[in-house]
Amino acid sequence: MRALGLFCPVVLMIAACSTPFPPPIGSSHPDETAPRRGGTLHLASFADVRTLDPAVASDDLASAMFEEIFAGLVDYDAQARIVPDLARRFEVSPDGLTYRFFMREGVRFHDGSELTAADVKRSIERALHPTTPNPAASLYDTIAGFDAYTSGKAEHLDGVVVEGQYVVAIRLKETDSRFLSVLALHPLRPVCPSAGDRYKDTWEPCGAGPYKLVPGSWDRGRSLVLTRHTGYFVPGLPYIDSIEWTLSMNRAGELYAFEDGNIDLTHDLGDAELEALRADPRWARFVSAEPDRTVDGEVMNTEIPPFDNIEVRRAVASAIDRGQYHSYKPESLSPSGQALPPAVVGYDPHFVGQTYDYDAALAHMAKAGFPYDPATGKGGYPRAIPYLLVRQGATEYTAQILQQDLAKIGLRLELHLVNWPTFLSLAYTRGAVAMAAPGWAMDYPDPSDFFESLFSSKAIQGEQSSNTAFYRSARVDDLVERARHELDPVARLALFTEANHIVCDDAPWAFTDTRRFEDVAQPYVRGFKPHPVWTFYTATTWLDRPGSARRDALGFLWSHPAQSLHTAARARLSGRSW
Amino acid sequence: MTRGRDERGSPSERFRRNRPALLGLALIGALVIFAALFPLLSSHDPFVSDFAHGIAPSGGPMPPGRAFLLGTDRIFRDELVRLAYGARLSLFIALSATLLATLVGAVVGILAGYFGGTTDFVLMRVVDVGLAFPFLLLVMAIGAALGKTTPETILLVLGLTGWLGTSRIIRSKTIQLRHAHFVVASRALGQSTTRILTLHVLPNVAGPLTVLATLSVAQMIVAESVLSYLGAGIAPPTPTWGHMLFEGQDVVLVAPWTLVAPAVAILVSVLAFNLVGEGLRDALDAQQMGRR
Repeated sequence: MRALGLFCPVVLMIAACSTPFPPPIGSSHPDETAPRRGGTLHLASFADVRTLDPAVASDDLASAMFEEIFAGLVDYDAQARIVPDLARRFEVSPDGLTYRFFMREGVRFHDGSELTAADVKRSIERALHPTTPNPAASLYDTIAGFDAYTSGKAEHLDGVVVEGQYVVAIRLKETDSRFLSVLALHPLRPVCPSAGDRYKDTWEPCGAGPYKLVPGSWDRGRSLVLTRHTGYFVPGLPYIDSIEWTLSMNRAGELYAFEDGNIDLTHDLGDAELEALRADPRWARFVSAEPDRTVDGEVMNTEIPPFDNIEVRRAVASAIDRGQYHSYKPESLSPSGQALPPAVVGYDPHFVGQTYDYDAALAHMAKAGFPYDPATGKGGYPRAIPYLLVRQGATEYTAQILQQDLAKIGLRLELHLVNWPTFLSLAYTRGAVAMAAPGWAMDYPDPSDFFESLFSSKAIQGEQSSNTAFYRSARVDDLVERARHELDPVARLALFTEANHIVCDDAPWAFTDTRRFEDVAQPYVRGFKPHPVWTFYTATTWLDRPGSARRDALGFLWSHPAQSLHTAARARLSGRSW
Repeated sequence: MTRGRDERGSPSERFRRNRPALLGLALIGALVIFAALFPLLSSHDPFVSDFAHGIAPSGGPMPPGRAFLLGTDRIFRDELVRLAYGARLSLFIALSATLLATLVGAVVGILAGYFGGTTDFVLMRVVDVGLAFPFLLLVMAIGAALGKTTPETILLVLGLTGWLGTSRIIRSKTIQLRHAHFVVASRALGQSTTRILTLHVLPNVAGPLTVLATLSVAQMIVAESVLSYLGAGIAPPTPTWGHMLFEGQDVVLVAPWTLVAPAVAILVSVLAFNLVGEGLRDALDAQQMGRR
């Protein structure tokens, strides 16, 4: 036993140092640009989906699936612009209170029935009904009659009016500049008549999107199969016959399957794998970045000392050398000192926001009443500040760099490592955590998603508070409220720009970077581009795969023994977490 | 050992003739000196990233070279000085935990073996329960209950869970001794139980106890590494070998030294303690055979 114990690490070490990746499987017609029809796309995911009902879902992965299964009145295009989809066109009344959608005629649901304005109203009422556990319902609270309907006082949602078989109007009780942005999300998308007018968790998902779920194929927690919706309203699309989606696959397994050509497209690889792929000239061009949708930063609880002192927060924001953060952090992260990521409308790449300035940080500490002398190490805040982080998560490293940076201005961090569920329950609870870095991933590409959720006092709650800094500013509240009613896009963005400046100065967050996912597609997956909002959107993707290119595991082992050993070693090494 | 048993001379002479055991002893000595002195002599700080010199041109950790003999880790701290600092912790925890475990194991084993009956039954059922309890779960539970883990909590946890095997072996040894002529004679002469236990039983189980303890140090090093590797050990930035191993595995493709260095450190130290432990066993076993 002991001999084996010694042997294993040595084998792993040797194996781990050999050639990283097998060559990619090429496209069989690399020069042709005309899409080909047919084939099966194999996808895998680290996560699982709890539900495929758009009315109740909240996980990220489900959103990629919804986009294949359900079509909406409006949608986000490849540039994240809002475009009509089930609607041919739409118009907004001059007072900004009525949105009228003129729908395509003859659109078929997956079950063959026609999609009409009545289905739109039924689906919206189903999604917002008080018995439906819809976590996103409050996004739609400006629809006229929302309060009466969701409290059970009204039988129907007054604001949604069927004006003809193919015309539906949505009236708002007040102007809401983000209404189209949230309407383009999935919760209110039309569902088949089989869904009925009330949410039931036994319903088999059915919509009007490019793919339909193969009945009985959803093996919960393991896999599901989508197949082309032959009645899809865009002629000729989609190109691919079917999508086989493996769920809850560990990342090492996913990488292994990808290397073998058993998975065609992956979104889940770890930073180290991506780095190795980018470094391999044969693979580099098949790695593509999704736009940055996530903002990271060190969140300081403005209700807990020392961060109730604005000067301490400013000191922290100035003490973080974001360039150093970046030198540790992999390429999927870009240093940033502001509240918005590039994927959001209104992001200004020239706005600098918070920056590293050591002298300023020391000056802020002095102003805060905790002067620190770096030469003697005397002064600073007298107590250790607990910093909450997920054990063995990516923040373990940034937290240590932060700890070094803050020690230089007299703030002593004590790292408290907890597991993921504990982190989730504490980081969003009032009065629980002085400092943590929970980050924020965009729900929809609009600044309101960031400022309303993270920095408005309305978002402060005892538990599950999205305002994790518990920050309140009358000025930011006012700007956010005005922006909500401002219909002129330019004036509206100006309001958010001002809010961005205030938030950077008040520093409830010390913003550090924005983050993106990177997708790797096999060369034979053609026409694929990461979608700025939905991750995968494969209706315009096609496959051009050589005959039987899937690698036979045994044959591969025979022909590339070192390679296989290496892959197995890496699978074992990376089995824990990426 | 397949080669013929060396039964000439005193135990210490036999140990001195045992080349592998001497090598083990030398390795332990080297490890202790490395742990004690290197952090003092090195110009690098185990807790501070060197963003100026510790980054390779590719942007990753610096490979081994003149400035950093073993390269730098994920956040550009000197790997070698962290390894030395980690050695302090590993050795401190392993030795203290072993001391604790040996003490508890010896007391429980001697009491159970000598008194037998109900005492033996109760103590051995406690041992059964302890052996049946999932070790990692227990450690994690204690860690969670304490809120955070420090070197002291880890050594307590390891010490208080590591005595079970020792007590079993010492118990059976004591049962043999209980019926030995010199013990029976002492009893007949009216010596007190305390005297018999301390003067006759303890010296005679000291040999196996030393061997068990030495081998146990190696196990404790591994146990501490496993805990740190799984994230149940001491919180960063304090370097421990197990946690360095964990940090290294993520970047093994770009910076294999971050995995190899702690792996080799664990391997060498475990090997050293095992060699010494086996050397001691060979030396002491022959002595006891001679006596019987």
